[in-house]
Amino acid sequence: MSTNGDGSVKVVPVRHVGRWFGSAIVLVLVAMLVHTMFSKLNGRWRFRWDVVHQYFFTSEILHGLLLTIELTVISMTIGIVLGVIVAIMRLSPSRLLSTPAWSYTWFFRGTPVYVQLLFWFNIAALYPVFTLGLPFVHHAFVAINSNSIFVPFTAAFVAFGLNEAAYMSEIARAGLISVDEGQIEAATSLGMTRSQTLRLVVLPQAMRVVIPPTGNEVISMLKTTSLASAASVVELLGSAQNIYSVTYEVMGMLITASLWYLAVTTVLSIGQYYLERYFARGALRSPPPTAIQRIRRDVRGIVAKFPTGHRAMREATR
Amino acid sequence: MQGISRVRQVLVMTGVASLMFATSVSAGAAGLTGKYNAADAKLVPAALKHSTLQVATDATYPPDEMMNGTKMVGFDVDLINAIAATLGVKVASNNVTFDNIIAGISSGKYQIGNSSFTDTKAREKQVNFVDYFQAGEGAYTKSTSHVIFNGLRSFCGMKVAVETGTVEQTDAQATAKTCPSNKKLTVLTFSTQTEANVAVSSGQATIGFLDSQIAGYVVAQSKGVFKLVGSAVNVAPYGIATAKTATGKKLALAIEGALKTLVANGTYSSILRHWGVNAGALPASKILLNGALS
Repeated sequence: MSTNGDGSVKVVPVRHVGRWFGSAIVLVLVAMLVHTMFSKLNGRWRFRWDVVHQYFFTSEILHGLLLTIELTVISMTIGIVLGVIVAIMRLSPSRLLSTPAWSYTWFFRGTPVYVQLLFWFNIAALYPVFTLGLPFVHHAFVAINSNSIFVPFTAAFVAFGLNEAAYMSEIARAGLISVDEGQIEAATSLGMTRSQTLRLVVLPQAMRVVIPPTGNEVISMLKTTSLASAASVVELLGSAQNIYSVTYEVMGMLITASLWYLAVTTVLSIGQYYLERYFARGALRSPPPTAIQRIRRDVRGIVAKFPTGHRAMREATR
Repeated sequence: MQGISRVRQVLVMTGVASLMFATSVSAGAAGLTGKYNAADAKLVPAALKHSTLQVATDATYPPDEMMNGTKMVGFDVDLINAIAATLGVKVASNNVTFDNIIAGISSGKYQIGNSSFTDTKAREKQVNFVDYFQAGEGAYTKSTSHVIFNGLRSFCGMKVAVETGTVEQTDAQATAKTCPSNKKLTVLTFSTQTEANVAVSSGQATIGFLDSQIAGYVVAQSKGVFKLVGSAVNVAPYGIATAKTATGKKLALAIEGALKTLVANGTYSSILRHWGVNAGALPASKILLNGALS
């Protein structure tokens, strides 16, 4: 045991050898990654940053990005609304409601979304005309050519929306059955009707369970929309492909599209975090910190390591 | 231009007519396979002599290339096999979407691109081409349609289905920019020609735009669903693509030598006749390296 000479014990901090070693490896790997990303190959940027820079804000790419976001928003809206309806039907005591709900999920989850997209896009081969009229007697009030309804964009969001509803219904169902039965009994004993119980007691609590997987689905949908190019919707990937089919800058254009997908995913993840925080109100004593709070805490932690001479800085960050 | 168009129209018609014949011609017709030629084999670059050459083809373009079960068949496929036999090299076929072939050659994944490539000056900046055939751009519609096609301008006001990365896509999109605002041209792009054909049959697209002899074949195979409209435009050479490297250029010269041998010994014309595309045959003098017209 070593002492400080005045009899007090010298405190030696624990040496985290493994942690230091691991951190060093990570640092080297990160440095290698950055280095290779900004290296050159045959006199050009290996990652084609010149192409990325040239096309990142071109109207063709931005228009594609807009279509991608529109498709994501519309498809997810259909998916969530229809999904919740299917989930509620599925939990209904009536067989006539629960069986169709189960079949819906079975069918739309059981076939690839790509197949469903091609199906809706070419639906006119089966139903050349859509009519609004009396069933079975072939009396039509309105008749519309299917191809004027299912233009490529519509075919895409119908396919994605209906497919998504099948997945969302399972997520919503998981949320609904996660609410303790005692809650429903308590609501009933207060004299609430079934619909009041659902709206005021069950759904708000189910939301907490439902949001993380739903956020996952939104991000997944953002990328699924890239399939729409098969129905000739020129969304983000489609516009990148159109450019590289002429310029042959395949990698540069794929990187351009990927960076945009990453940017939108980042924004969505931030949104999800705050939404989760909002619905955690009733369940957690103190909500998780916001990003700004977390940065403040980290800065404080670093400042605290230098207890003397940095009081001014510590005061400033408080 | 009109003169050329009339000639092309006749050519397409004879192409379709001889296609009807083609089915009755026995596949065993002499000289479909090609014979080893030592002089041509010498041209193959040493680096590639003993490896299997990877050939990239988009097999949705009948009768040039298509799938028959798990086997790739077609005029281009027979031709590259005959070239390989002449050069004494092994080739393996890869079914790749059209817009990924040139990128795959540039990255070294494939040594040869053999997929009805129109040889254009823009593409020659990316790869070397050995010209081996010629074709125009043709249009087809549903047989119930009344639209008229007499040149690219007639696309204004229509929805045109094309395959991504083809010269037809480039030409249709260039035309779209010149159409008046009350007669907009919508270009619908698909990753395979098959999907583009389906879009025309379901009515999503008004008209399909693709190489003329392919249009002839698609119409002939459609059992009356489709019809050809107008005559072919922009006749241009097809090229077999190799990498824009020293080795790639040597390989291209070897392929050029083999093609000239196949023309001389009659294998070239038997293959073209077998697939009913002899209207697009080139004489030996037109088998060139990088002979793009535009």
